[in-house]
Amino acid sequence: MENKTVNFMRLLSEDSTHSTVSSDSCEYYQTEIFDLLPSIQASRPEQSRKPSEAYQDGPVPGEESIHGHLSSGPRDKAPTQPLRNMVICIQGKRSVRDRRKMQISDIGFWVSWRRSQSITMKRVWEQMGGALSGLLPWQHTLHAIEGRYGFGVKAYFVLLRYLVNLNLLHCALIFGFIVGPTIFYGRSKSSEPLKFGGNDSVLDFFLGSGYLDRSPVFYCFYTPGSLNMQCLNTPLLYLAGILTILFLTLILVVRRTTVGYKHTWMLGKQYSMNVSYKIFCGWDFTIQDPAAATLKHSFIRNDLKLFLEEQSFSLREAQRTLGQRVRLYLLRFFLNLLVLSLLGGAFYLIYFATNKSQDQGIPGERQWLVILVLQYLPPITISFVNLLLPHIFRKISSFEDYSFTMQVNATLVRSIFLKLASLGIYLFFIFKHLKDQSQCLENLFGREMYKLCIFNFLTAFCNAFFLNYPRKLLQEKYPSSLLAQLWGKQCFLVPFNVLDLVYIQTVSWVGVFYCPLLPLIGVVTLTATFYIQKFSVLRCCVAEQRMFRGSSSSVLFHFMLLLGLLMAVATLGFNLYQPREPACNHRFSCGPFGNGQNVFNVTGVCVDSLPSPAQSTLSYLNSSAFALPLILAEIIILTSYVSRGRANQKAIERLKDMLVMSSSDKRFLVKQHTTLLRRQRNPCRVRPAAIEENQRLPPES
Amino acid sequence: MGTTASQLGKDMLSEYQELTFLTKQEILLAHKRFTELLTRDEKDLANTRVPIERILTLPELKSNPFRKRICHVFSTSEYKDGSLTFEDFLDLLSAFSDSATLEIKSHYAFRIFDFDDDGTLDCGDLEKLVNCLTGETDDTRLTPEEMRQLINNILEESDIDKDGTVNLSEFQHVISRSPDFVSSFKIVL
Repeated sequence: MENKTVNFMRLLSEDSTHSTVSSDSCEYYQTEIFDLLPSIQASRPEQSRKPSEAYQDGPVPGEESIHGHLSSGPRDKAPTQPLRNMVICIQGKRSVRDRRKMQISDIGFWVSWRRSQSITMKRVWEQMGGALSGLLPWQHTLHAIEGRYGFGVKAYFVLLRYLVNLNLLHCALIFGFIVGPTIFYGRSKSSEPLKFGGNDSVLDFFLGSGYLDRSPVFYCFYTPGSLNMQCLNTPLLYLAGILTILFLTLILVVRRTTVGYKHTWMLGKQYSMNVSYKIFCGWDFTIQDPAAATLKHSFIRNDLKLFLEEQSFSLREAQRTLGQRVRLYLLRFFLNLLVLSLLGGAFYLIYFATNKSQDQGIPGERQWLVILVLQYLPPITISFVNLLLPHIFRKISSFEDYSFTMQVNATLVRSIFLKLASLGIYLFFIFKHLKDQSQCLENLFGREMYKLCIFNFLTAFCNAFFLNYPRKLLQEKYPSSLLAQLWGKQCFLVPFNVLDLVYIQTVSWVGVFYCPLLPLIGVVTLTATFYIQKFSVLRCCVAEQRMFRGSSSSVLFHFMLLLGLLMAVATLGFNLYQPREPACNHRFSCGPFGNGQNVFNVTGVCVDSLPSPAQSTLSYLNSSAFALPLILAEIIILTSYVSRGRANQKAIERLKDMLVMSSSDKRFLVKQHTTLLRRQRNPCRVRPAAIEENQRLPPES
Repeated sequence: MGTTASQLGKDMLSEYQELTFLTKQEILLAHKRFTELLTRDEKDLANTRVPIERILTLPELKSNPFRKRICHVFSTSEYKDGSLTFEDFLDLLSAFSDSATLEIKSHYAFRIFDFDDDGTLDCGDLEKLVNCLTGETDDTRLTPEEMRQLINNILEESDIDKDGTVNLSEFQHVISRSPDFVSSFKIVL
């Protein structure tokens, strides 16, 4: 059964796309009856609708004829549809409204009052929504950037703004759960008061040591105070705060990823509407700048050419001989080995730098600059590696004979791997190192995260003001000089900048447990980054030659963010789990978790104090006896969704078949009707042909 | 009905707010920009039509490849010369505003892309559309071979009923799956 329909469809489609398109269909939609079809009427501009009005406005002919051609016809299906939602000109809307007013007076006072109330309510809501969206910061800047550089760059800035908002939310939670109670209830009696002095210097603000080490920035500050109930104490609140942040972020990021994913990936791939998107949604009507318009033209042209090229590329790929294929795979294998060895080298370099930075001798012996450099050696190495390798990967992937999109994706995937893995390795080595120190471990770890954050921000700052800006100045002042030509015009590389954002956010998530004020620092640095990047985009960059689709790239961005979050959670879990065994004997206890308490047993005390039914419920929820039914229920729900999706898929296919059928029916009937009409109108023109045929026939028979 | 060009009455303003997607500020701004296009003696007349040449000097439209089509679609002129009254201008801004629905936007987009006003996008319309997108000059155009391949691809994808043209519902079907469309089909003064 299915095979038959498929065959039928293919026959039809081949028939129509190749032979009938040029000659047949042209004739088909130029016939008179075609213009009278209701489906065509609906899409016609109202001016050209005049002659056929009587035909289509069936039900109340008297009323309709008064309003003549301005009536909205079949569009005005729902009388409650707001006037502004109708596709007619203002004058037309007025007359529709007049007509509606009559209807309302017929309906009665109560209904009309309710309707006007709903309209005012709607307007109030709209105004509130407008005011709220006006409150969103940087709306105007984003608009300007979008106008000049298109979606791709705007997607980066939207992500940046999203991260600022996310960090603000984190800050609120931190203040609610951690800082607030500490301020209100005080700290433990043994902890010394906070003051600036002694050995402290301004350098501490870069190193996170000295004054900052004792300040609320780090874990150590939050010693348990007078708030000491069994189920409401400082350690518990601290843990709850961190867990809330991580869970809330997970939910938010997953939601944003899936919303975008639903929009583009599944629907786009499944029905493959790629070219149609490029054509029908290609032009960005917000563009005002003539230069941006020419750029957009070339974007679209490049994009289309790219698509056509890729289509023929896949054709060519299918025709490759065995020898070519073997050679290509060998080449790819070696290039992948090269990538792997580069990654390995980078990781070793990070390990080496970490070792070096931790092995420094007695601090007094060296100059402060050397200390600073040594302290910052790992972040410098990581930033250096992350700056250099993605560009090398980009070059490497161009040799691999992949299609262009595949090249970009390969580069991105390798770079993500590099970024997150290098961070992970760094964290791992730090942790191994820190274990045998007698200071507060968590503070040291938090300090490393703090340094990474600060250093990343400093890099962005220097990159913008000491590299990009002079480069631009050089190009403006001496456009013909050798150096300027060598450097070329600089583009805003969206993927690499997004990688940076994802990286810094991951660091912030890893560090939030050890350095609770990291989100606040994140808000400040990200806000500053926004202005720096705005400056470097608007002042220093020309728009890129390659186009990024806003939606699909932002899905990728959020997916990377999700990966970063998962990595942060994994690292945090690993770190917390690690010192469990040797905890009691030699660890210097600091921060909220003292007196043999740790992250894992702090809830136990609270649970023990609960009444026994609640306790048994909790232990049941914890056991595998509960996990099994849970998993089963999830499987059942998933299966039902999958099968429903499949059923819908089949229904869509069937409806498409029906559409093709009914369309061909329509075409047939229209053609038949036209030939009949023609025969009626000028029988003399038909007759000669018939006569001719008749004349030709007899000799044969 | 209609407005003298120099001022905008309060009742007019609220009526326009009801009939369009524009806010009060936007309508006032539109009115200001529209009056700037009028000549001195036109300012006292009600319902003046501004010819297409002067409309196209607006910076918002100047670099748009579809600017002439936009004027023609929104013009209520009987001579089909693309001239706009203030109300036509408001219609235009309303369709291109932030808050206009996807249906409105896709409907007008279809009419803008339908170059010969015959109610479907046929091969000729698609070719003109692609030429508008890539640039009109000879060296920016696609080659005839590329154009043929492209149009075949478009029809293959979006011509669901296989009649060789893309009609409104097929067009809206494509558009509704594109999350970028609403944000890009926008003109803000």
